[in-house]
Amino acid sequence: MLAAFPVGAHVGSPDVYYEGNAGPYHLFVTVKVPPVVPGVAQVEIRSQFNDVTQVGILALGLTGAGAKYPPSPETTERSKQDPQFFTGNLWLMEFGSLQVRVQVDGAKGKAELSVPVPAISQRTMRMPRGLGGVLLSLALLLAFGAVAIATAGAREAELVPGAKPAETDRHRARVVLAVAGICALGVLYGGKRWWDSEEVVANANVYQVPQVAGTLESGGRMLLSLLPTKQRTSELPRGWVPSDYLADLILDHNHLMHLFLIRVPQMDHFLHLHPDRTDGGQFVVQLPNLPAGRYQIFADVVHQTGFPTTMVGEAELPDISSRPVSGDDSEWAGAALLANANSGTKSLLPDGGQMIWERSAAPLKAGTLIDFRFRVEDAEGKPVQNLEPYMGMAAHAEFVRSDLSVFAHVHPAGSAPMAALELAQAGLPAYDEQTQSMASDMAMPPASLSPEVSFPYGFPKAGDYRLFVQVKRAGRVETGVFDAHVE
Amino acid sequence: MAVSVTVDRQASLHTPDQTALLTSVPWPVLGVVGAATCFTVGMYWDISWHQSIGRDSFWTPAHMVIYMCGILAGISCGYMILRTTFLPVASDRAASVRVWGFHAPLGAFIAAWGGIVMLSSAGFDNWWHAAYGLDAKLNSPPHWSLVLGVTGVQLGGIVLLAGTMNRSSEAARKKLAFLFLYLGATIILLHLILANHRILEHSAICYAAVCGAVPGVMIAMAVASGRRWACTAIAAMYTIFAMANVWILPLFPATPKLGPVYQHVTHLIPLDFPLLIIVPAFLWDCVRAKLRDTNRWALATILGAVFLAGFIAVQWPFADFLLSPWSRNWFFGTGYIPYFTQPTSHTAMNEFYQAAASRTQFWLVMAAALGLAILTTRIGLACGGWLRKVRR
Repeated sequence: MLAAFPVGAHVGSPDVYYEGNAGPYHLFVTVKVPPVVPGVAQVEIRSQFNDVTQVGILALGLTGAGAKYPPSPETTERSKQDPQFFTGNLWLMEFGSLQVRVQVDGAKGKAELSVPVPAISQRTMRMPRGLGGVLLSLALLLAFGAVAIATAGAREAELVPGAKPAETDRHRARVVLAVAGICALGVLYGGKRWWDSEEVVANANVYQVPQVAGTLESGGRMLLSLLPTKQRTSELPRGWVPSDYLADLILDHNHLMHLFLIRVPQMDHFLHLHPDRTDGGQFVVQLPNLPAGRYQIFADVVHQTGFPTTMVGEAELPDISSRPVSGDDSEWAGAALLANANSGTKSLLPDGGQMIWERSAAPLKAGTLIDFRFRVEDAEGKPVQNLEPYMGMAAHAEFVRSDLSVFAHVHPAGSAPMAALELAQAGLPAYDEQTQSMASDMAMPPASLSPEVSFPYGFPKAGDYRLFVQVKRAGRVETGVFDAHVE
Repeated sequence: MAVSVTVDRQASLHTPDQTALLTSVPWPVLGVVGAATCFTVGMYWDISWHQSIGRDSFWTPAHMVIYMCGILAGISCGYMILRTTFLPVASDRAASVRVWGFHAPLGAFIAAWGGIVMLSSAGFDNWWHAAYGLDAKLNSPPHWSLVLGVTGVQLGGIVLLAGTMNRSSEAARKKLAFLFLYLGATIILLHLILANHRILEHSAICYAAVCGAVPGVMIAMAVASGRRWACTAIAAMYTIFAMANVWILPLFPATPKLGPVYQHVTHLIPLDFPLLIIVPAFLWDCVRAKLRDTNRWALATILGAVFLAGFIAVQWPFADFLLSPWSRNWFFGTGYIPYFTQPTSHTAMNEFYQAAASRTQFWLVMAAALGLAILTTRIGLACGGWLRKVRR
């Protein structure tokens, strides 16, 4: 079913959300990727303070030769109603791993940041009936016109001025009428066949979510194998990262793969695991204790180019008695996804504390950037002071739609994977390899973590969602779970 | 059937009433020639824009020049059709054909038809990019609709000029013959945009692509114009225009607006240095004069073989030169590389791309090139003969 929702990083959630610093400016960036590539991305930038006067945007490769020469920036438009909000359009010309660079000018001088953007074709489009009718009418009119002109030419073009066509001229015109008619039909038919074949190529270029098979082996080990995909074609454009190529992965906050198992359809059991790669290119993970059921698999990896891939699959698992989760692995078990998902802003944590979703009373809207804020409190209801980095991050969040058509693994810096963000920042002219200051800004939280964590993200479409928010406290991973209805 | 390739100009003038001969070039004819010029200049400029700056706004100067083609063709042909239909002068109406109740010279109808196809293709093209996104691909149905439309404008201009030329006085005919050959050159200029890539010039497909149109257009124009050095003149116009493209466009500063950018670009990147079709064209003019009474198929076979052999003889070694460091200067312009060219590509590495998978396939395609040269020459002879007879 998920293959019907063709998207790139994550599943069903192609737009990129980012929160970070361009030098002294704190920005929220949204890149709404085009449905086809080449196509126009819509870029929205919001500055935290009213200190930015001008924003330029440009696209370049995330790594390799295409990252070397930045093109001249496109200007963005500053909102008249909201001077901290800038919008602009940007052509993404290639498939694969790109970055959008944001150049800021303002009261504190010039600065820039980069946001990784996976560019993929998500769909092709059917022609609207109205436009189709107009174009077909024009095509027929022009075909009849061509035949009429050819016939008139055969009948009269060679006559001396003023002469009337003779019977031989009329006969020749009738022959030309027949031949031109056949030619016109042939051109229309050939054109349609060509169009169809081009559509086949365009459809083959539409990104398909890679599928994995999860096979349970003895001792509660699960083997993850990539299934063959349908998108292999000799017509794939350059720069495309084959989805079934797992040999070029890089570490994304210390792990090659982040595996999420969610018992469906109730979503009452959730695991965040970190499989190891085998010599054969597959991945294997020791499952912890878990109850029997049907589990949805989401497996996040990042390629060397910075292109993120989420693979999906399903596994029917029996009761497993193995060991409790340990290390960076984590789990949650609790109530089923509510039918009326707009249910609450408080989630009890296993240590007696609670996680509070600081959301406004306004309904959640799809397609808009939301600053998700969560506060962690202890058993006495006081904000905790002992949050620790969880795999180098202040927190992790997973957004899952009830029908599993949307899955997004988001961090406080946004929806781009940290490994890709580090590549993007490393390409900035101001990047300093010694201090790695820019990457550190994003990847490493301050020594004393705030009890409040935030995630910039936007729901891709309306529906019921479950949010899993993970923090680490006193050496233990705590997962808060919230349900949300999005309009 | 014998044919006189070098035409006796007076023999082509069958107008019964010599007092009715045209003595000047009608302005709508100049309008259509201007339209073809706009499109040719606009296309070379626009492609350069795309490979230097990238896809840009609708309102680039190159786009404006291209759209001027439709405006000029529309005004010129629209005027001719409406005036001849609704406010007819007797001589104009007498020299017109009738289509769906309208009257005008045949070429005006063809050019107007081409203009409408051009406009229709714009809507189709816009939807195509939204649906499939394949902008970088020149070879798509909407782009070929545009090509079909422009070809209509060019062919309409040629038929219009042929009819006018065949009804003109000798003085006016000389001017018209020049414009006539010039229109032939604009067709070749557009056709060779697709065929002219230096990395393909050791592949048979390049020669097949050239033979797919150039011989036919040249011989048709030569036969219809009756000029002794017509082919050389057409090829010279092509060469001068394409060389000017290499020399003039890089004078204008430009930087890419789209990424990823793989080549450092500081000015407009022109299309490739012209193909050396002037050599086979010159050989043709020399040979044609000696073969005026030859059977048409035999003539087409001889001319086709001469064209291909002459072209390969000069272009093949010249391609070696174009990929050498010696050609990377302002004159030959092979150092200009589009911003989107990957550093590992054949163009950036100055290496030939072998389109054929095997030696056998190479020779099969080369044989097809010879077949195309002969076939298009034969078709060109027929079309040229018909153009000599067009009066309306």
